[in-house]
Amino acid sequence: MKSSLRWIAAFVLLAGLPFFLGSYYNDVYRKMLLWITLALSYNFLFGIGGQVAFSHFAFYGVGAYSIVIFLFQFHLPFPLAILLGIALCILVALAVAIPSTRLEGFYLALATLALAQLFVVVLNEGGAVTGGPGGLANYRLPEVFGVRIAGPWYTVVIVSLLLATFFVLLRLDRSWFGRACRAVRDNPEAAAAMGVDVARTKVIVFTLTSALAGIAGMVYAFVDNTVNPPIFGLENAFLILFMVIVGGSGRHTGAVIGAVLLFLLPFVLSPLVGHHHVLVFGLLVLAAILVAPKGLIGFYDAFRRS
Amino acid sequence: MPSAVLEVRGLSKRFGGLLAVSNLDFEVREGEILGMIGPNGAGKSTTFNVIAGAYAADAGEVSFAGESILGLAPHQIAARGILRTFQHNRPFAGMSVIDNVLVGAHTRFHRNPFSKAAAEEEARQRQRADELIAFVGLGESRSADVTTLSFGQGRLLEIARALAGEPRLILFDEPAAGLTPAELERLGEIIRGIAGRGIAVLLIEHDMHFLLPLAHRVAVLNFGAKIADGLPGEIRANPSVMDAYLGSHAAAR
Repeated sequence: MKSSLRWIAAFVLLAGLPFFLGSYYNDVYRKMLLWITLALSYNFLFGIGGQVAFSHFAFYGVGAYSIVIFLFQFHLPFPLAILLGIALCILVALAVAIPSTRLEGFYLALATLALAQLFVVVLNEGGAVTGGPGGLANYRLPEVFGVRIAGPWYTVVIVSLLLATFFVLLRLDRSWFGRACRAVRDNPEAAAAMGVDVARTKVIVFTLTSALAGIAGMVYAFVDNTVNPPIFGLENAFLILFMVIVGGSGRHTGAVIGAVLLFLLPFVLSPLVGHHHVLVFGLLVLAAILVAPKGLIGFYDAFRRS
Repeated sequence: MPSAVLEVRGLSKRFGGLLAVSNLDFEVREGEILGMIGPNGAGKSTTFNVIAGAYAADAGEVSFAGESILGLAPHQIAARGILRTFQHNRPFAGMSVIDNVLVGAHTRFHRNPFSKAAAEEEARQRQRADELIAFVGLGESRSADVTTLSFGQGRLLEIARALAGEPRLILFDEPAAGLTPAELERLGEIIRGIAGRGIAVLLIEHDMHFLLPLAHRVAVLNFGAKIADGLPGEIRANPSVMDAYLGSHAAAR
């Protein structure tokens, strides 16, 4: 199998790298991998499913907070905490997705924006359970079979998460399901006439991608070993949208390119322009959208055609 | 005589005070091309949309292969084997020609995308899609972006996409609209070929010059009611049809 060899090669390469990095670069690398994971699932929701939702990063937060709360506030066993965290993400996603199937474009965007805001409010007002504005800290990843995964080995966990997410999304995209999602995005009425259950497809895509974001959030919870409300604010909800648009909406490779570039850009910019890096960042994103409306992957397509 | 695939009995549809379709009866048989004509506002499109599940009926019965399909959603009707084309082409603009056709085959996919059998099913459907693309004459554009197709090619894509769902009945909504004479000739051949495969064809059409030589049987609608039903030759000679189309003065002359 040629394709399974490629997956193994990618794993070896990505998982081997952290063993050669210092702890600072390991941290940067981990966060970049998590952003790529999030951009991939958001691309499936927004770029392939056509749903303009701003709740993706909030689900990342639901996953992160829920694993910490279940483990260290409710003292549940690790496997149960993971399952409950996933179940919670699915439940919240269904609660948003089912009524939202009646909403399109602008209205779905507003509803999910409200959800994202509400989530931050709940975190701030959650008292002892969520730790309020200060969040929760001073916890550590539980031992699994007597081993505490740490350092570059935890980065290997994140690489596995990224590749598993990519594998699931790629398989779905290249099947009848992925075509149905794109059909619903492009022309819901024609999709229905071809036998696609439009509402069901939308609910499945929203729930699946939100659950994937939640799982990524659970993994993130043990990267900084702290969760607090500002991390899951709206700024990052928009950043993930920009990543997908700049890279090339609807394209997996585009999502990866966009996530890597926009994640690394501030690291390059801030030594150069200091505090103005946010402004320059905004201008660069704007320029990318204007110059490459199909995303940076569009340049590659044009190059390959010529 | 082959059995009726679609039976419409006493169908009525009201929009507020307007009776768009009133007490309509007709049927379409296997391998038959039934043409439905009538002036603007005669109720053709309304009838079409009731059958396709886009509108609910106010009275009457629509049965397909012996079972009522009234009240089913459009995607459920497609799953039963009724596929349609759109009068204004509605391609999935972000996808290639073959992917558009494969969406038409949506109800033919049964495998879990993560199962081993999925790859075999995908390959089989791809081959069928290729055959259908060749059948309508889009073989050259198989992998092209649909946005690069001409209007006439877009119409052919609509047909290949509907055929991919293995219909027992195919509904054409004014397929001749906007086509050149050469494209019309090609379209006529394709529709004959579809009926030749035993598929029932319901063709709603404005253009009598296109429809009359093509249809096996013709139903004429005016003000929501059927005013004539018969062989194309009979329809051509029927004074009430001429009256509906051209006004009573023309018919009297």
